[in-house]
Amino acid sequence: MQSSNTAAERRQRFDEYVGVYHQDMYRYAAWLSRDKSIAEDVVQEALLRAWKSLDALREKSSAKQWLLTIVRRENARYFERKRLETVDIDNLSASQAALLAEQPDEELDDMRLAIYELDDDYREPLVLQVLMGFSTKEIAEQMGLKQGAVLTRLHRARTKLKDQMARQ
Amino acid sequence: MNCEEYRETIAADPSFDGGAGHLSQCAACQAYRSEMLVLDQTIGRALALDVPELHVPELVDLPELAAAESAESSTSTTDNIVALPKRRLSSPAWFAMAATVVAATLLGVRMLGTGIQHDSLAEEILAHLDHEQISLRVTDVAVTDARLSSVVPSDIARMDHSAGLITYAQSCQINGRDVPHLVIQGEHGPVTILLMPYETVSDPQSVQGDSINGVILPVGKGSIAIFGEREERLDRIQEKVLQSVTWST
Repeated sequence: MQSSNTAAERRQRFDEYVGVYHQDMYRYAAWLSRDKSIAEDVVQEALLRAWKSLDALREKSSAKQWLLTIVRRENARYFERKRLETVDIDNLSASQAALLAEQPDEELDDMRLAIYELDDDYREPLVLQVLMGFSTKEIAEQMGLKQGAVLTRLHRARTKLKDQMARQ
Repeated sequence: MNCEEYRETIAADPSFDGGAGHLSQCAACQAYRSEMLVLDQTIGRALALDVPELHVPELVDLPELAAAESAESSTSTTDNIVALPKRRLSSPAWFAMAATVVAATLLGVRMLGTGIQHDSLAEEILAHLDHEQISLRVTDVAVTDARLSSVVPSDIARMDHSAGLITYAQSCQINGRDVPHLVIQGEHGPVTILLMPYETVSDPQSVQGDSINGVILPVGKGSIAIFGEREERLDRIQEKVLQSVTWST
């Protein structure tokens, strides 16, 4: 009886985290992979891994960073397995193009394309800062970088986006 | 703080609220800050993709899971690839003490008297890295040439700095023999290099775990082990390491 209670509590805890952070997991995966279908696969795998290692998460306050770390690793595994090649912007698959064609807002479309074309090294810290609300210290931990490197990448990312938008 | 410093800071983090003294006297930086805040709002809206309906995958109960993982770890070894048991810790704490205990159990470490004997060179190396977590720091402070020379004696090898930023150098023991233990800073975190003149491997051996990626390369009569984060591109590092080391044995 106690065992089933514990299992139920575990599942409840898992559902709670997933409910709160599922959107963040998906968006992070989508901007890492630049492909909506891959993002869905990555999130599914990440959820399985999170469930398996849920007991490793001691602090509720760390749940978001913990889940996004799992997403990051699953994304890396996915690309390692598939050995995907560099994406040609003029030759996107349907699910890649779907990422860029969501809204009729021209400014947003331009910005989304500009973000899409950023190097991974610049796009990821930007997503973590703007979308996930991470501090530069947290981004550094997530990406295994020094804080100074994160600041440099964020500065360059915004400068590139600003220049790109000015050219539109 | 001057204009250049202020703008660099704002471009890295538009929510930065310091530099008020400069801002109050510089109309151009006020305009730049406003521009960056507007840009960030657009970035935020562009990043906020619509999220499809969530389908939670079927979650296996823990006892079944443990059995499945046990079966997986006992059958997933292929030629020249040592598949390690799952290691759940994230960088920079992959080698935490808890993992040591789990790894020791799962890897089939044999306790013999007061010593520990490992079933393979890869396991011996992982146990050593678990033990020496302090080496795995993200830093930009390089060890001195004198330190490097003392840890890598000329009768083992000569090594220059071309492999990367060497941030840790220590003489350690692998299977009871002295071995130079070095760490360089890779793209995804610290990368460990062990120069092992007395450990022979016939072919390159790949070592893969949930968060670890490693290779043991035959070099001369001995071998060199290179271990990094799962995402690290070891092939690039491997090439640089082999170029930077002149083997003496």
